[in-house]
Amino acid sequence: MEQYKISFPHIGKNHIPVKKVMETLVGEYGEVILAPPITKRTIELGAKHSPEFVCVPFKYTMGNFIEALEAGANVLFQIGGDCRLGFYSEVQEEILREDLGFNFTFHMLKITGGNAKGVYDCFKDMNPKLTMPKAAAALALCVRTIYAMDGVERYIRENIGFELEDGALEAIEKEFLKEIEKADSVLQIGGIYKRTMKKLEAVPINKPADAIKIGVVGELYVLMEPFSNYFIEKELAKFGVQVTRFITASYLIFSPQHNVKKILSQAEGYCEYEIGADGTDSVGKSVVFAKEGYDGILHLKPFGCTPEINSIPIVQRVSEDYEIPVLYFSFDSQTSETGVKTRLEAFYDMIQMKKGGKLV
Amino acid sequence: MQKIKIGIPKALLYFKYRVMWLSFFDALGCDVVVSPDTNKAILDMGVNSSIDESCTSAKIYSGHVEWLIKYGKCDYIFVPRVVSYPDGDITCTKFHGLYDICRATFPNVKWLHYNIDYAEKHTTWQAYKKLGTGLGAKPDVVSEAYHNAIKALHNYEADLQRKQEEVLKKDGLKVLIVAHPYNIYDKVIGEPIVKTLQELGVNVLYADVPDTDAMCARSEALSTSVYWRYNKELIGAVDMYKYDVDGIIFLATFPCGPDSLAIELLVRKIKDIPRTTLIADSNFGEAGIQTRIESFIDILEAKKKGAMSGNGAI
Amino acid sequence: MIKAYFGVDIGSISTKGVIVNENNEIIANEYLWTEGDPIGAVKRVLEGLQKQIEGKNVQVVAVGTTGSARKLIGVVLNAQIVKNEITAHAIGTMSRVPDVRTILEIGGQDSKIILLNSGIVTDYAMNTICAAGTGSFLMSQAKRLGLAIEELGELALKAQSPTRIAARCTVFAESDLVHKAQIGHKKEDIVAGICTAVVNNYLNNVGKGKRIQAPIVFQGGVSKNVGVVKAFEKILGHDVYVDEYGHLMGCLGAAILAKNSGKEQVFDFAIQDVAFITKGRECEKCSNNCEIIYVYRNDEVLDVWGNRCERGLAEA
Repeated sequence: MEQYKISFPHIGKNHIPVKKVMETLVGEYGEVILAPPITKRTIELGAKHSPEFVCVPFKYTMGNFIEALEAGANVLFQIGGDCRLGFYSEVQEEILREDLGFNFTFHMLKITGGNAKGVYDCFKDMNPKLTMPKAAAALALCVRTIYAMDGVERYIRENIGFELEDGALEAIEKEFLKEIEKADSVLQIGGIYKRTMKKLEAVPINKPADAIKIGVVGELYVLMEPFSNYFIEKELAKFGVQVTRFITASYLIFSPQHNVKKILSQAEGYCEYEIGADGTDSVGKSVVFAKEGYDGILHLKPFGCTPEINSIPIVQRVSEDYEIPVLYFSFDSQTSETGVKTRLEAFYDMIQMKKGGKLV
Repeated sequence: MQKIKIGIPKALLYFKYRVMWLSFFDALGCDVVVSPDTNKAILDMGVNSSIDESCTSAKIYSGHVEWLIKYGKCDYIFVPRVVSYPDGDITCTKFHGLYDICRATFPNVKWLHYNIDYAEKHTTWQAYKKLGTGLGAKPDVVSEAYHNAIKALHNYEADLQRKQEEVLKKDGLKVLIVAHPYNIYDKVIGEPIVKTLQELGVNVLYADVPDTDAMCARSEALSTSVYWRYNKELIGAVDMYKYDVDGIIFLATFPCGPDSLAIELLVRKIKDIPRTTLIADSNFGEAGIQTRIESFIDILEAKKKGAMSGNGAI
Repeated sequence: MIKAYFGVDIGSISTKGVIVNENNEIIANEYLWTEGDPIGAVKRVLEGLQKQIEGKNVQVVAVGTTGSARKLIGVVLNAQIVKNEITAHAIGTMSRVPDVRTILEIGGQDSKIILLNSGIVTDYAMNTICAAGTGSFLMSQAKRLGLAIEELGELALKAQSPTRIAARCTVFAESDLVHKAQIGHKKEDIVAGICTAVVNNYLNNVGKGKRIQAPIVFQGGVSKNVGVVKAFEKILGHDVYVDEYGHLMGCLGAAILAKNSGKEQVFDFAIQDVAFITKGRECEKCSNNCEIIYVYRNDEVLDVWGNRCERGLAEA
């Protein structure tokens, strides 16, 4: 019998926990074939085989699928959400089958709202030996891994701009990821996480009390897949900036903070209702950043992303009320990297001037 | 006592629910000002007050709102929020955010709104009840106004459906226009297309006319995963009419998210029927549209003639 | 000996350079086409500047670069400061018009807007999406009408009723232009319409949502077109100031920033005679194919960049 060769699109480093959980779920009946890391070829392929006006996450994930199928995958997973994302799978499946002639099984999983049962049923079909306790253990491992990774990333994001020795923090993260890939118990991951955090905290940093702080809001894919945003957080941090972002996998999927009531209360005075997908959160978190005295906000979205387009006029209002500058980026497959960098630099200069600092 | 004057932007859901709104507000004793047909000035105001990337239909809406603020002399401007329908289907997120977008774009305006979101248990009746009582009407008056408004809408829609049935029986070329009502019935976006088709003697059918609940159910024949109510309505109609028409025109505004994918899927599934896609932006209709429609109709005519004289292919 | 500062702005189309004294006054300036060779262009700029300061007992003690090739030229000239063009333009303009609130700029291929308050940049935007509303758009439209670009401005002033041109993007605009010409609009009205379209496009794109306050300064190649200047004034309802040195604001800013850096190192004009070579090579370690740029001074590698990961070959 043919083995299941499972693959799924990339988003940041989240393939590590996802691979782990899927391997356990499919058991001896298959394996996980990771889509090759995103490169220029990925987006070129994806853009070539996507409708012209779809948003850029469609194009990236399309590229991932093509490269995964080329590598031998025969079962593909796509996640569904609240905006166009949910409709991706049907169109992508059609293109991959009809235009490109690939043969595969396609699954769409709705990640939000706790669809554990759906995931279980899907894998039970592939792996008759799968049991509920086994699946639950795999899921727990996945959750713990995501939390650990997000914790490490958060620390790095906020401090990398101030490390005395370039690359020290990232070297520790690399080591951490290697260890975590091998770990197979929740306990182990807990230990690795603790040790890693200690190591990170031991790295000498020189962070002034009035360091420039910039918050990042926007659409989840371009926020979480650094390739799609031209590694903007790292570019920004390089100027000596503390970068903060709330939107992470652990926040989106598991956090009790990620609920409508909470978000609407943060956006109070600006959103009476939800404005679609993560748009409301972009408004809410902009208000949070403004209130906490951040120096600026980056708003990132794919070109044409309706929920985030909805959020812009409202974020502009927040920006005026709190006098906090906001820089907006709209990414597609043709975005000019130089343009992104120039505008980012000028944003930093502007904040620096406002704070009375020297331009160097 | 002075009557309350309510401004209604002639855009987006106006084209779907105007009969219901007008009947309801009238029964409550309110005056209504509807902004005029979209014109260059309204379009300009819309473009200027909107985010560049916003879809043209939403920009037009913004222009109508601004017109009402400037010239409408109304007490309130009515901006409905419609999110989800009883069967779980949702609208494009533009309709989720419209009310809050308007509030952020035009501060210091008194707004009137309702919120229909079945997923959150906000039904149509509750929305109207709140709207009506908020305007100071007694519960029984609101209830009667609501039921009459629904009846008026049903009658109006049934009448349109009967007329469309008549068109279907006619000889000559028949073209189905697949477009949201706010696009095809808009003076600037859709009207020039319909006019061109009519001048060419083409019988025009509209995908938004057939019974919407039935069309939503029917849409599954072509797509099982679409969850946007307004796209499902159109997709069902495409399935229903596909063998009755000579060609299909898809019309969408740039850069509509749902349409970009729904049209892509439809174009892939309806392979044997001639079709063309028109994407409108705020400069639409000023150049080239007529030519494109004429050449599309030429193809349909050639095909039809060929079919009648036995030379199938063109 | 007078201490002086050299600023250079290397754009994709043109390269501009100035030398300023301690009071930020321009004592030499040069402006020429980049012709796809930024290093060559900078050498020619240096040659011109050197002639202008000959015998004036001037010594350049700091260098600043800006513009799209700022990084490369920064390495070549061993500059004290390398600065993005938004900040450089703001700094340069403020030295000429200290109370400026709005800088409008339309260049050959891009456009930007900078808002300032009390000498601080408070907001800005750059066009990133399309060429409509930039100089290249004007250029192509002029060509279509059989006019030289220089003629456009004066002709536009003669218009009685400017034609309405749909100009969201160049493609739309061109077909509309042809259409308007065919149905009999006068040439000057069409030209005025194009100028208005450029302004509307600009305001709708980079100027969207920005509160434009006076004093307003207009710069960039397109600012030489009086038709566009008038269109701005009409639409904004304010005077629009065009500086004769408008095209030099970027390099002026770079020179001032170099001065403010406090770092000094005597600059040697003999650098014109040094051979600098850049080599672009596609890394083949993965399908990212990062384009890695090597800068050589004579045969020695000065700098390498363009690499996205450690896989890339950093060796020369």
